[in-house]
Amino acid sequence: MDMSNGGFWDKVAEILHLKDVPFMGVPDYMFSIEYWLGAIAASALAWQAITGLILLLYYQPSDAYDSTMAIIHNVPFGSILLSSHLYGAYIMILAVYIHGLEVFFRGAYKRPRGAQWVLGVLLFAMTLGAAFVGYSLTGDVLSADAVNVGRGILTALGLSSAIPILFGNGTQLDLFTRLLGWHIIIAAALILFFALHFYLAEQNGFMPDLKESNYRAPALLSRSDSRLKPWWPRNFIFMLAIVLLTWGIILLIPSVLAIPQVLSRVPILLSPYPGPSPTSPEASSVPAYPPWFFLFMYKMADMPFGLAMDTVMGMFIPLIILLLVPALDRSDALHPLDRPWITALFITGLTWVIELSVWSAIQPGVPVKMQWFAITIIPPVVISFGGIYAIRRVWFKVKGELSGSRNRGAGFRLSKGAALSLGYLTSILAIIAIVVSFFLNPIMDGPYVGVMWGTALISFAASLLAYFYVEYIQW
Amino acid sequence: MSGGNVNESRRNFLKAMVTIAGLSVLAGMLRGLEVLVPPEVSISGFPRLLLVDENGNPIKASSIPINGKQIALFPYPLDNEPNMLLALGDSSGSPVEVPPTTVIIPQNNVSYDFPGGVGPSKNIVAYSAICQHLGCTFPELTFYPPGVKAITANGPMDKVIHCSCHGSTYDPYRGGAVVTGPTVRPLPAVVLEWDSSTDELYAVKMIGPVIYGHPGYSSPTSQLVKNPTGDLTGGSPISGTSTIVKYYSNPAS
Repeated sequence: MDMSNGGFWDKVAEILHLKDVPFMGVPDYMFSIEYWLGAIAASALAWQAITGLILLLYYQPSDAYDSTMAIIHNVPFGSILLSSHLYGAYIMILAVYIHGLEVFFRGAYKRPRGAQWVLGVLLFAMTLGAAFVGYSLTGDVLSADAVNVGRGILTALGLSSAIPILFGNGTQLDLFTRLLGWHIIIAAALILFFALHFYLAEQNGFMPDLKESNYRAPALLSRSDSRLKPWWPRNFIFMLAIVLLTWGIILLIPSVLAIPQVLSRVPILLSPYPGPSPTSPEASSVPAYPPWFFLFMYKMADMPFGLAMDTVMGMFIPLIILLLVPALDRSDALHPLDRPWITALFITGLTWVIELSVWSAIQPGVPVKMQWFAITIIPPVVISFGGIYAIRRVWFKVKGELSGSRNRGAGFRLSKGAALSLGYLTSILAIIAIVVSFFLNPIMDGPYVGVMWGTALISFAASLLAYFYVEYIQW
Repeated sequence: MSGGNVNESRRNFLKAMVTIAGLSVLAGMLRGLEVLVPPEVSISGFPRLLLVDENGNPIKASSIPINGKQIALFPYPLDNEPNMLLALGDSSGSPVEVPPTTVIIPQNNVSYDFPGGVGPSKNIVAYSAICQHLGCTFPELTFYPPGVKAITANGPMDKVIHCSCHGSTYDPYRGGAVVTGPTVRPLPAVVLEWDSSTDELYAVKMIGPVIYGHPGYSSPTSQLVKNPTGDLTGGSPISGTSTIVKYYSNPAS
């Protein structure tokens, strides 16, 4: 293999027409994590699709719990497969949250990206939907609870005719067959919507630094911008590193948690494996938790307004507001302090989600009295709105002074020599981790193999990034 | 192309390192494809199972019809391994004793000892109902009783087990030995035990090549034919201490 410039990889690029890929290149400053949060969510989605399809080879709706546990105990690398599918979902949900917040605070939902935002909100809802159904597939005690709560919520909303559609005719076989079907249907729809979302993202282009558009929509990167460089190979290498880094994290975290000495101390909300079977004696010792990303909704269901109103307030109103954000805030102002009420509303909502989730984890299923509701729900509104409008007064004073061109990234810079050494080191670490993994048994040592693979992927992603930095970033 | 102060040879060395690391990680994680190999289902040894009818009543050896119009099938040792239970007779319907014999495997000339028929007339035998050639099962593979002739490579023949898929023919009177190809292996035999005090029958083990499709079936070594442990892998165990004999109409009668 010719490693010199213009050798092997140029041949590959030529054969696969990689130089003609119609994706947009970006300026150097965009090779920074905040521009790639969507890519992290998409990488997790890809991991979910791969591992989910493999899980289909083993999961049996007729024997949901036992076939799930058999994946962990009997299938080679099965414990990694199952636990990383769970944590892939967790990482995807986190990435979707952070991506959405970043997009919101940068004002990236404004024209011309309104449709992209709406698709993004739908993707968020579908991600949570797929996660709810997927979590119920294991047939453990928590999944049985989740399905029953789902039935209760539908009944309270007057939608009890939807119960057989979602959960089947009451037999266990129909329940799990449907859950599996819906999980795949939602996942397939998610991938389709993601494709549209991605297409719009490519067409609208990356959102440039706000200063470039003077904090006004539309913020667009001109295709004739001299800083844009071809997609191949720069974007490809960076993207590959992001994908592998995400996959490494998805492998590493649940594998560490699954190491026997650690597993016994992991709270059930974060356990990499399913809980006990609903028919086993241990089931009685498990509190009725939803998955962590629905904790806020679980607390909402304890509110003193009746289940129907609780659900409307906790789920439907927030979702509708999110969908309407581009219509509600039609100004051109991109800076969060120039659109104070919606910024304050978002901070309030985020605070509520965190507050309710923590509360729910501490006091699952404890009914809420009206005064408790007031104590938790009102202060974030006052503090957020008051705070944002107060900071805004300062912002007006300094706004003029800040709008001058400050040199971006003028702070600490890793020297290329140091990056080079880091690249050597992480390549070697990746190789060592992979070599170690070969000495581990695919069934008995699952968690340790996962730790080694996760380490190898993260190290290799780091060496790719080091190479990228040395080769392509100019300053 | 590059900025900064790193010379080209060091950059190329890094590129080589990163490429090697990438290929290592790829190779290491390709091992993960082993996830596609399903775990084996198997039992640890040949079970001793009583032959019963569909109501759970033991099959009486002396009441099995000789050259019956129907074929009796039972699974053994796993539930996806059907076998034919035959009470052999001559053209007048009298039982024919099946003597112990040595069966030779044409594939590799390995031989094994078939223990012969059991029951009051020593005419009861049982063979795998899965053809050793390409795995066709009953009703394609079936017993041609005296007077019903199969068209074989040796001409019309009765008193054989013949497979209509590709013409393999076996001799149930001689331990399931090969009469004509294309099969190169005899039919595996179920070793039966007859309890003379109760007239009940037990399946106790298999002998001969491993049953078609199970691990090692295509390489019958002299060790394996005496104890074809491959039969114990690749199917669900039969629960309980008995196996159910069911009757099917024989297309060759």
